[in-house]
Amino acid sequence: MSTILVANRGEIACRILRACNEAGYSSIAIYADNDANSLFVELATTSVRLEGESIAETYLNQNQILKIADQYGADAIHPGFGFLSERADFAQAVIDAGISWIGPSSKAIEMMGDKMTARTTMKAAGVPVIPGEEIEEDDEHEALIAIKSASERVGFPLLLKASSGGGGKGMRVVNSSEELDDAVSGARREAIAAFGDGRVYVERLLSGAKHVEIQILADTHGRIIHLGERECSIQRRHQKVFEEAPCPTMTPDLREKMGQAAILAAQAVDYVGAGTVEFLLASSGEFFFLEMNTRIQVEHPVTEMVTGVDIVREQLRISEGEPMSCGELSIRGHSIEVRLYAEDASNNFLPAIGPLVVFKPPVGPGVRLDTGVREGDEVTPNYDPMLAKLVVWAPSRSEALQRMRRSLEDFVVLGTTTNLRFLRELCDQEDVINGSTDTTLIDRAWPYGWSPNISNSLSEAALMVAGISEGSGKHRKSNSSDASIDNGPISPFSTLSRRYP
Amino acid sequence: MRYEFRIDGEVVEVTLSKVDDIWSLSGNNASILPDGRIRLVSTDGSVFFAHSAKVGDTWWIHIGGHTFCIDHIEPGAAEEDEGSGLTAPMPGKVLQVLVEVGQRVEAGQPLMILEAMKMEHRIVASQEGSVSEIYFSEGDQVQQGVPLLELSIS
Repeated sequence: MSTILVANRGEIACRILRACNEAGYSSIAIYADNDANSLFVELATTSVRLEGESIAETYLNQNQILKIADQYGADAIHPGFGFLSERADFAQAVIDAGISWIGPSSKAIEMMGDKMTARTTMKAAGVPVIPGEEIEEDDEHEALIAIKSASERVGFPLLLKASSGGGGKGMRVVNSSEELDDAVSGARREAIAAFGDGRVYVERLLSGAKHVEIQILADTHGRIIHLGERECSIQRRHQKVFEEAPCPTMTPDLREKMGQAAILAAQAVDYVGAGTVEFLLASSGEFFFLEMNTRIQVEHPVTEMVTGVDIVREQLRISEGEPMSCGELSIRGHSIEVRLYAEDASNNFLPAIGPLVVFKPPVGPGVRLDTGVREGDEVTPNYDPMLAKLVVWAPSRSEALQRMRRSLEDFVVLGTTTNLRFLRELCDQEDVINGSTDTTLIDRAWPYGWSPNISNSLSEAALMVAGISEGSGKHRKSNSSDASIDNGPISPFSTLSRRYP
Repeated sequence: MRYEFRIDGEVVEVTLSKVDDIWSLSGNNASILPDGRIRLVSTDGSVFFAHSAKVGDTWWIHIGGHTFCIDHIEPGAAEEDEGSGLTAPMPGKVLQVLVEVGQRVEAGQPLMILEAMKMEHRIVASQEGSVSEIYFSEGDQVQQGVPLLELSIS
C-alpha cells in the first residue's frame, strides 16, 4: 500500500488521514462541494472533489469513488464509520477492483449486517444471544402467526426488531399480547420503508441493562485479540453521548469471559481488522450478543487511551498483511469520551446550526480532542451534528470525571448552540458518579427534559459581560454572512525572496 | 452606559459605570484583557474569564462554564410583539411606576420599572393605548407572571 483513499468526511476522516500521514502513506480525501473548506480536506496529500449534491450522489456514490481511486492511484480504501463502511457490496467492489479494503471481508460484513443471520451464526458459535426467536417469514400474515407463537415462549415485555435494522428503526417495545398486532404491523411498515425488508424478529426486553462492547483486532497471521471493553450505556434518542473504558462494574473474570465470547463471534465470520462486538450486560452478570460493528467505531479513542494501542494504525498494518504490533495488553487508568453535538439539549436535543465564531477546546494533561471542525467553520444541516469527541484519561475513574468536568467548563463554543452544559451536568448525576449507568439513565434523570442550572449571580455577570462587550466596541463582531474579513497588513515576508547561502 | 438586552425572553436594562478601564455593575468589577476576554471579579471575590462574540444582534457569552445568548436591543428599536408584555417576567420588587391610570402611552413607552436579580427590568407598552389599570405601587413585591398593568387599546 502506498496511497490510501479515505471514503469519509469530518472528524473520522481527520483521524484516519492523520494516521496515514504519520505512517508515511500518501492520502486522498474526497469531498462534496459543501465540504470544500472542511478541515479533513486540508489533511490529505491530494483532495478530490465529488460531483453531485446529495449524499447519495457524493459520499455514498460507489462508482464515483471507485473511479477516483483508479484515477488517482489509490491502492487502499479506508471507509471510516457510517456512509459505505458496512456495505458488503462496496467492500466487494473495492476488492474486485484490485484495491485493498481496510476492513473485514464482504462476507463478514454481510453476515453481521443482517441481524437475524448474525443471531443464528452467534448461537451456532456458542455466543450467548438475547432469549428470543428468529422469524424468517416475510409474508405479513404468516409472520404475525409465527411472532404470536414465539411471544408465548419469549414472554412479555418483548422487543420486536427489524432484521435489517439499525438506529431504532423498525423497533417496538411490546408490553402485552394485546399490543402485539399493532406493534408488528408498525415495525414492519417502518422496516420496509427504511430498509426495504419487512422481516422482524422477537427478543426478550432486558431493561436496566448496560451496553458493554468489546473491541477486537484480528490480523492475517491468525492472531486475534480483544482490547477490553467500553461501556456506552448513556444514550439519548438511541445515540451514545458518554462512553468510557473500562466499564465501572467490570471484573477481570467477566472481562475475560466477554472478551472470549467476542473473539468467538469474530472467528465465526473469519474476521480480519478492527471490529466491535456489542453486548447487553444484565445486572445479574449475564451478557448477551447484540450486534457486531464491522468497522472502526466512534468511541474507539477510550480504548486507545487505556490500552495504548493506536487502533487505526493497527488497521493499516493489518491491511498491509503485517502482524499487529501490540504485545500483551493491560488496562491502565480510566478514559471517558463525550460527544459534543450542535444541538439544543433543553429542547429535546433538537439539532442546531450556526457559525463557530469561537471554538476553543480545553487543553492540559490527559485531554484529547477528535474533531473535524475549527474556529470559523459553519455548522450546516447537511451532515451529522456531531462537532467533536472530547476524550480524557486519568489514573482513576473519579479523577477522569473530575478532568471531564474541568474540560467541559473550559470548552468555549460561541455562535452555535451545543450540548456542552448538558454533558457537564451529566457528570454530576449520582448514577454517573457511582457507575450505575444503564440505557435509561437520561430519561430517569430528566423525565421532563433537561434545562440548565444557572445561578442568578452568573446570569448577572453574563449580562454585565454583554454590556461591556457592547459598550467597548472592542470585541469581535462576527457575522456569518459578513464576507469582509480583515486580513491585516500584508506580510513583509511574502514580498521577500532573498536567498541565504 | 445603559443597554437593553433580552435574555431568556425577558428584557433587561443594564447600566454600567466605567472609571478608567474598570467597568462596574452592582459590586461586580470587570476589565478587558489584551486578548479580548473580559476578566470579571464578582462581589464575593470570585474571578471569571469570559469570552464574548456577536452574531447578528446576539451576544454569545461564555462565563463560568455556561454559555449564554443575549440579544442586544438597539436603542429606539421597536419592541417585538411579546404578547402584552405587561406581566412580571420574574419575581421582584416594583421600583417605580411611571404612568397613571387614564394616561395615553406610545408603543415602547416605559410604564413600570421592576428590580430583580439586582437589575432593573423595564415594563414597556407593547402598543399604543391608554392605561386602564395599575395593580401595584412602588415598593410592592410581585410574583413571576402576575399582571402588572392593563392597557386598553384604542
